[in-house]
Amino acid sequence: MTNVGFVYLILIGSAYLALLFIDRQKTGQSLKIAGQSLLKLLPLLVAIFGLVGLFQEFLPAELVTQWLGESSGVIGLLIGASAGAVAIGPPLAAYPLAGSLLDAGAWPPAIAAFILSWISVGIITLPFEAQTFGSRFALLRNGISFLAAMVSGLLLGVLL
Amino acid sequence: MIRTLIRSQWLLLFTIGLYLYAFFVAPVRAANALNIGTSTFFSVTLLIISVFGLVGLLQIWISRELIVRLLGREGGIKGLLIAALCGTVLIGPAYIIFPLLMSIQKQGARWAVITIVLTSYAVKLQMIPVEVGFLGWPFSLARALITIALAIPTGLLVEALMDRRNL
Repeated sequence: MTNVGFVYLILIGSAYLALLFIDRQKTGQSLKIAGQSLLKLLPLLVAIFGLVGLFQEFLPAELVTQWLGESSGVIGLLIGASAGAVAIGPPLAAYPLAGSLLDAGAWPPAIAAFILSWISVGIITLPFEAQTFGSRFALLRNGISFLAAMVSGLLLGVLL
Repeated sequence: MIRTLIRSQWLLLFTIGLYLYAFFVAPVRAANALNIGTSTFFSVTLLIISVFGLVGLLQIWISRELIVRLLGREGGIKGLLIAALCGTVLIGPAYIIFPLLMSIQKQGARWAVITIVLTSYAVKLQMIPVEVGFLGWPFSLARALITIALAIPTGLLVEALMDRRNL
């Protein structure tokens, strides 16, 4: 993964260099925003990777298979999607957690539902969404997205 | 001050608490967990730095105004496809995205467009390398394709239900 990171860093670095010739000021602004958003997210990332370590060391694989494994079927899908709906945070934080659950034997469709509802369903941001768009839209959108997360999970199971 | 710290960093404090407890009960396994966490973190550090470099570029060069203009103007299936595309590159917390979308809606964009942006928001083009790193190509690719494919039906469904007055 470090190699991939290196290639990616070179790509983005060259994009910055090229854009530097087009517009110095805007490129500087981009770099500033990049640094600021990274710093803002750093404590959360530290927490997430800390949790990943704890997961891998202490979370018994049997428990993961029991709740999120293939044999848990619809229940596993529901658990995945619900956990994602309650969780809040950038997608970047969902991937390492999802990865360690997969390693522990979770069913890929349940994990896909987890990631999808993590990002597109927000129980915690629901009041804010209702305030902005009206409660009818907020409830419909979150409800349908929750179902869509589970359907997508199942489709992913078919594709893989 | 302590209250704002707890509110903004509760997950970090919670994790630290778990570690303290773990070190108390099972020091060897706790050290092991810390090792796994740290090495996972360092294996993706370069990737995360680059991803944020990309985040900065997108934020400045693909401005929110541009997205508003694109979404407000285009109608029909083309508008829906543009919405799906915009959702995948749009970044930022809910408190920025919601008001932005509301302003598009007030300018006459359809409910389907708003929903599609919020659904396809679950695919983050700039984050794909990180997702692949943790979950592998087949999983990430399948998830991205399915999300985008389902975004449009989801949007149309929400719109249809919004238009039916008494439900």
